[in-house]
Amino acid sequence: MPATDAALQIETLAQDPVPVRARAIGQWTFNGLKARRDELAHNLAELARQPAERVAWDLTGVTELDDAGAVWLAHAMHGAQRVAVSARHRDILRQVSQGLLAPTEAGGRFDPLWAVVWLGQAAAEFAVHLRDAVALLGQLVRDGLGMLRRPRDFPRREFSAGIFRAGVTALPVTMLVGFLVGIVLTYLSALQLKRYGADLLVINIVGVGVVRELGPMLASIIAAGRSGSALTAQLGVMRVTEEVEALSVMGVSITARLVLPRVLALAIALPLVAFCTDIAALAGAMLVSQFTLGITPAAFLVALPKAVEVVNFWIGIGKSVAFGFAVAFVACHYGLRVLPNTDSLALGVTRSVVAAITCVIILDAVFAIMLRNVG
Amino acid sequence: MSAEAGEHVIEIEGLLNLVGTQVLHRDLSLRVRRDEVLSLVGGSGSGKTQLLRVILGLKRPKAGVARVFGVSWDDRNAKKVRDARRRMGMLFQNGALYSALTVYDNVAFPLRERGGLAEEDIRAIVNTKLAQVELEPRHGKLLPANLSGGMVKRVSLARALALSPDLLILDEPTAGLDPDRALRFVQLIKRLRQDHRFAVLMVTHDLDTLHELTDRVAVLADQHIIACDTLAAVRGLEHQFVQNFFGGHRGRRALQHG
Repeated sequence: MPATDAALQIETLAQDPVPVRARAIGQWTFNGLKARRDELAHNLAELARQPAERVAWDLTGVTELDDAGAVWLAHAMHGAQRVAVSARHRDILRQVSQGLLAPTEAGGRFDPLWAVVWLGQAAAEFAVHLRDAVALLGQLVRDGLGMLRRPRDFPRREFSAGIFRAGVTALPVTMLVGFLVGIVLTYLSALQLKRYGADLLVINIVGVGVVRELGPMLASIIAAGRSGSALTAQLGVMRVTEEVEALSVMGVSITARLVLPRVLALAIALPLVAFCTDIAALAGAMLVSQFTLGITPAAFLVALPKAVEVVNFWIGIGKSVAFGFAVAFVACHYGLRVLPNTDSLALGVTRSVVAAITCVIILDAVFAIMLRNVG
Repeated sequence: MSAEAGEHVIEIEGLLNLVGTQVLHRDLSLRVRRDEVLSLVGGSGSGKTQLLRVILGLKRPKAGVARVFGVSWDDRNAKKVRDARRRMGMLFQNGALYSALTVYDNVAFPLRERGGLAEEDIRAIVNTKLAQVELEPRHGKLLPANLSGGMVKRVSLARALALSPDLLILDEPTAGLDPDRALRFVQLIKRLRQDHRFAVLMVTHDLDTLHELTDRVAVLADQHIIACDTLAAVRGLEHQFVQNFFGGHRGRRALQHG
């Protein structure tokens, strides 16, 4: 038998108590519905509008019926009493009709206090985060002190791998960014300073800005994006594959084994990276000073130590240590909270990077206030 | 009461566990004897895994006592807790091998972590353990990513046995293995138990495994252990889950074979 597309024949007998006769024939399937899709949809909608008791349905001519066809028919037949259907199609039709009747998940009424609820939930979640972070920090300090007594237990390999990954491999990108920022900053400052004839001040502005502020900041923001996300993902996957659980079961401290080496590695690597960023940014500054203000590199280098007190450098390095610690700590905190599913991993990494950068900026503000009279 | 001298390696009493606000376990009690293989069965979602997590100390129960070797994981004495942990080996369902470490280093990990062993001794022990699970020393160089499912299970078993534990916990040991491999894995555990009578707590759905290995079966249903007895005794229980589990076609077939 050649396959025939779905069709609907509608007959109207004015005198009959049930005046409308709908007869479905052909293949009421995903494919069969395609050919006369619009016409069928129109006719079925028309029938659905009729009072249910005025329509008699004859589905015995249907050769094939699948879910798609059944849904179309069930929609139009809603409440119909006179239905003739072949035995083999009865079950699917009944199932689909019941499926249509099943209550849809109520969206819930609009809650005028949703903002308050949302805020409360967010605050509660934040409190839990804070509590866990404090607990992690405490455990970290405890395990760190314990390590001092048993230095042989320190996971050296993870530590050195951490320094290599977060430090050495981060150098090209951080130095490039530092170099470019140095160029832009110097150029913009030079434009302004030229007007007042205070050309040499560019060394003060750029020097202090880069060494004290921008170098550590750039290095830690890039570290948050590169190393922080990597740490979170790494620990998160270890959660997903139950490696973290396996460690706990063996009685191995997660903080000592996984968190401590990573946090220490970044706390040591980041100042080194920040130092290299400083150099790259100052090199950029030197280059632009030569071309826009005519300050030779030699003069720049001579003026730099006078313009920028060395304490600024140490402040920058000290801040980088704190930033490195914060970035790695936040990353590990989020990594260990990942639940065994892909969504949680993605969310954890995103939040980790955002939180790490926020943390760095907050810390920076704190340092700025604390050290406002220094240098 | 201490299980140190006693006969129970795991004692759970009056356990209450919540998932969110829903009660998962209520007044759950279970004891695993020192010399037995106890299988935990229960329908999907009955909280077998969560119960294991409590036993392993990965989850803190809301109320009740869970002691392994007479030690509660909350015990303030860190050394006692650590010693108890070292007397137990765990085989995770998916192996949970450290993906950054080779097979050799994975098995050596608990030994190194324990400390006090020379690297030569560790090598000897690791090779013995690998041989026990029918792996050769050359497999030691592989990374977990390069192993087949069956090999992952065996390496994981070798790691769980590295410290010669008195208690081995298996989560679905034969899940994901073909019937032949599953049978060999079961026989492997049987043989290992002949040399070293460790207790086994096992979660399984596999009736063949159950029949081959188990001394007693604990049935987790209706939020607690409804029965904990020999296979024959449990089978006769008038409970919907038990009847479906053992009385179905597969259940009858497995029991006939045995």
